[in-house]
This record gives sequence, C-alpha cells and structure tokens, in this order.
Amino acid sequence: MKILLSLLFCIPFILLAQTEQDTTSVNQKYSMLYKKRVLENIEIDLLGSFYTQDGSNAAVTGGVGTEELKDLASNLNISIPLNDDDVLTIDATISAYSSASSSNLNPFLGTEYDDDDERRIGTITGGTPWVASSGASKEDVWKSGVLGFSHSSDDRNKIYTTNLSFAKEYDYTSFGVGLGFTKLFNQKNTELGISANVYFDTWQPEYPIELKNYMNTIGKLNTGIFSGIDILNASGNPIDKNSLTVWKPFNNKLIDDEKRNTYSLSLSFSQILSKNLQVSIFADFVIQQGWLANPMQRVYFSDVDNFYIGNAANIINYTNPINTDVFQLADDIERLPDSRSKVPIGMRFNYFISENFVLNTYYRYYFDDWGINSHTLNIEVPIKISETLTLYPTYRFYNQTASNYFAPFEQNLSTEKYYTSDYDLSKFNSNQFGFGIKYTDIFTQNHLWLLGLKNVSLNYNYYKRNSGLEAHIISLGVKFIIE
Amino acid sequence: MKNKIIIIFVLSLFLSSCVAVKEYEKVNINDPDMSLSDRKSKKFETSFHVYREGASGVNGGKSGGGCGCN
Repeated sequence: MKILLSLLFCIPFILLAQTEQDTTSVNQKYSMLYKKRVLENIEIDLLGSFYTQDGSNAAVTGGVGTEELKDLASNLNISIPLNDDDVLTIDATISAYSSASSSNLNPFLGTEYDDDDERRIGTITGGTPWVASSGASKEDVWKSGVLGFSHSSDDRNKIYTTNLSFAKEYDYTSFGVGLGFTKLFNQKNTELGISANVYFDTWQPEYPIELKNYMNTIGKLNTGIFSGIDILNASGNPIDKNSLTVWKPFNNKLIDDEKRNTYSLSLSFSQILSKNLQVSIFADFVIQQGWLANPMQRVYFSDVDNFYIGNAANIINYTNPINTDVFQLADDIERLPDSRSKVPIGMRFNYFISENFVLNTYYRYYFDDWGINSHTLNIEVPIKISETLTLYPTYRFYNQTASNYFAPFEQNLSTEKYYTSDYDLSKFNSNQFGFGIKYTDIFTQNHLWLLGLKNVSLNYNYYKRNSGLEAHIISLGVKFIIE
Repeated sequence: MKNKIIIIFVLSLFLSSCVAVKEYEKVNINDPDMSLSDRKSKKFETSFHVYREGASGVNGGKSGGGCGCN
C-alpha cells in the first residue's frame, strides 16, 4: 500500500524528465494557428435505468428482514459549447424508489398518526421485518442537479473545471462545489489532473417509529402508538408498562449533529504507452465529518432484554420469513464515529487489441479508518461486430472486509461506543456479470426534430453477494447532438 | 524501502522509454471504447455500487457526499 502511495507521489517528478521533450515551439505555433473547438456541437445524453434488489439483511430492521427495493431513475446531461474554449454542462437526475426495508421505519400495519406522531388514529394489526409496510417511508424521490463549466487553454494543454451540485431527498439535502485542473504534457501523451470537491450535507432525520414515539411521549408507554397495545417480553407475555422492566431505548438522545460534510481531493495521471495502449492511475483522499450513521437503521443488542409487539407465537420465528405478524422494538439506532477517512486508489489499463476487440481493465484498492479494506476488479471487452454495433461483455469482482463496528442482528453489545448491523458494512464479496450493446449512427443520419442521433446503448447487469443480496439493473442510454 | 526504490526505478524506465505518439497516430487511442473513464451509460450502475458497498471513489461516482449513502 505504501508503495502504491509512493508511486503516486513520484509521478509528477518522473514526468519532469519527460516534459523536456514536450511540445516543441513548432507544435505550439501550430496549435495557436489552428484551434479546434473543444466541443463541436451541443451534446445531449438521456439515460434511464431500472434497478431491483432483494435480500434478507435489511439495515432498517437491524440486519434481518426483506431488502426488496425497486428504483426507476432518469438522467439528462447536456454539454453546450459556449465558444471555442468553454463548455457548460448541465446534469439533472431523478431517482424514484420504493423500498420494503425503508417502509419498515414504521412496520405496524394500520397505524396512522396526527402531525405530531402522538395520536394513533388506526389500530395496530401487526408488524414484521419480512413484509413491506404501507408507511410513507416506503418510497422516496432523490433529485440531483450539477452545473459544470470547463475552460481549455489555446494550446489545449490546460483544462480548468468547476462545478456546483445540489441533491435532495426526503430526509437528506446536499450542496457541493468542486474545482479541477488538468495539465497535458508530452504531445498530449501524458495527463496530470487534480481536483477538489466539498459537500455540505444535512440530515432531516427520520427515526424508527417506536423510538420517535418514545422520545415524543417522554417514555410514556400508555400513549402514542403504544396506547392500548401489549408490549411482549421474550417469553411472549405482556409486560406491565408501569414496571421497572419495561422496554426503553438504550439512548435518550437520537441524532445530535444533523450535518455531514465531505472533503475530497483527487489526483489522476494517465499515459499513452503506445498507439494501442494507455494507462491511468488515480487516487482520492476523502474526509467525512458529522453524522455518518443512518438514523433510520435499528440496532438490537445481545446483552439487553428483547420486547415485541404482535403475535407472541411467532417470536420464535422472528428471523424467519414465515414471521408475518410480530416486530421487535429497537434498542437503538446505529451509532458510528463522526469522522471517516477514505483512500481509494485505482488503475485503468486499456488495450486496443484489434479493429474488433478492445480490452478495458480497472482495479481499485480501498481502505478507510473504519476498518474496511476492499479490492475491485472490472474487465470489459468491447467487441465491434460492425462499424455501427458494439457488444460489451463485462465482469466485475468486489470484496471488502467488515467495518470495525459491524455485527449481525442481536450480536452488537450495548457496552460498545459504536455499532451497526448494516450489511453494506459487513464482510462480503460480490460478482457482477453484465452485457451491453451500442448502436452508433456514424453520420448522424437519424433525426428527431433538431436532434441528430449519435448512439443508443442498452446494458444489463446481474449482481450477487455471497451474503445473499441479489440485484439486477438495466439501463437505456441515447445520445443526441444538435449540429 | 528496497522494494520502493526498485518499483520507482522500473516505472521511471517504463515511462521514459515511452515514445510520444503523434496526434495522427492516435486513431486507436481516440476510439471511444479506449476512454479512461466509465461510459456515461454506467452512471446508475456506479450509483448502486456506492449505496451497496463500503468502498467508493476513483470510478467517476461519488466518494461519500451528495447522498445518505456509505
């Protein structure tokens, strides 16, 4: 690892040796005389995707329960040449999902509340981590917009970029700003880039319904959603709500810092090694601060008594999907440190094998101070079966170690400072198989009003974790230009 | 330390031995499938990796900010 970092920092010095043989004065004069536009036409990319997943380790219900999720997303990206040197980019995304696990923020069927979540209007008829609830949290829309600007120098050897971003979902808002600089050397055979991004994010936290109710009613278990409802102990017997051995959350305070800031510095280096071969190496240095846990995600401790609402007979089947009518009350929400440093280092190696085959490889090593180490390998072999059609068979392997704070359902200890049962932070590996096809309209013969078709692509990927999660994603992309 | 020196030395040789490819020789390098970044059509695929995996970054996707993800 240290060797990789050393290499990365040595690259600029190694390059100094090369820049001596860089652009000759003749080349520079040529560039000044003939300045090609950075972008000839307005380009419009439309992209739509459908994603679906299922598994049995939902984080909202403490590491057990359905992870069924469907997401329909669309993206519009417009690149506009402002003049010979400058390009404005507008990127807008809308992603609408429905999630069984998120719906179980409030798993109790038939419950309705007034605006203060204090008065139960309906009747609790049960709850389970294995079936989606009908609560408002079952669906959400994530909206994002990015405005980008780039300026290229006359000789096209320097590129300056900047961007502003905004994103919003029901319980989360983000503002971001970024700056970048890229320098090309050695007759544009070598490229060095540096960029920095900052995100200022804010939670509008939503909590598991029983914890929220407990806080709102100051622990009165005869009011709110618990009014008239039995709370069962592990033996299935109703407890005396006025006794000392009642259910209560482990922490009296939920979220105390709604901010989440991210600071990211990116370095990149790419080199053309021959007429058919090029390589790039890149690294990010990321620091996150603020509330890095997800306030929706429950945790159940192994050293704390368990309490339930619902059918006592099914407590024994709690972690089995046959449980359709009993729900365990949370001990706490997940707690994670208020800072995290991440370092991903990646490499791409692309080889033009022949007129028909290209080899694209990608490798990433990642580590952070939460204990996650990860390797990602991606191989794609574009196959050009004709001038207009290209096939994209793809394979991706990923693995990671578990975060120091992860433990499965009912295995965290209340004596720990930090804990989570989010399986995205567990140890696992995954395999992904994909296939894509792209049609390229070389001469832009097909038109839709002013829009000339450039290409159409369709991609499908199947993703499977060894922990059981499976996902499918299908994407359709269309690129137009306005001449 | 010894390994670092060897690797840096080899890399230096590797880079300095590169013959600069002229613009008119970059037909294959400029092929869209030789791009050193992900295709735009992979945008949402990258997004779901950011949400579902502990690692992120250096792949054109987010590295932590902008969403309530890992």
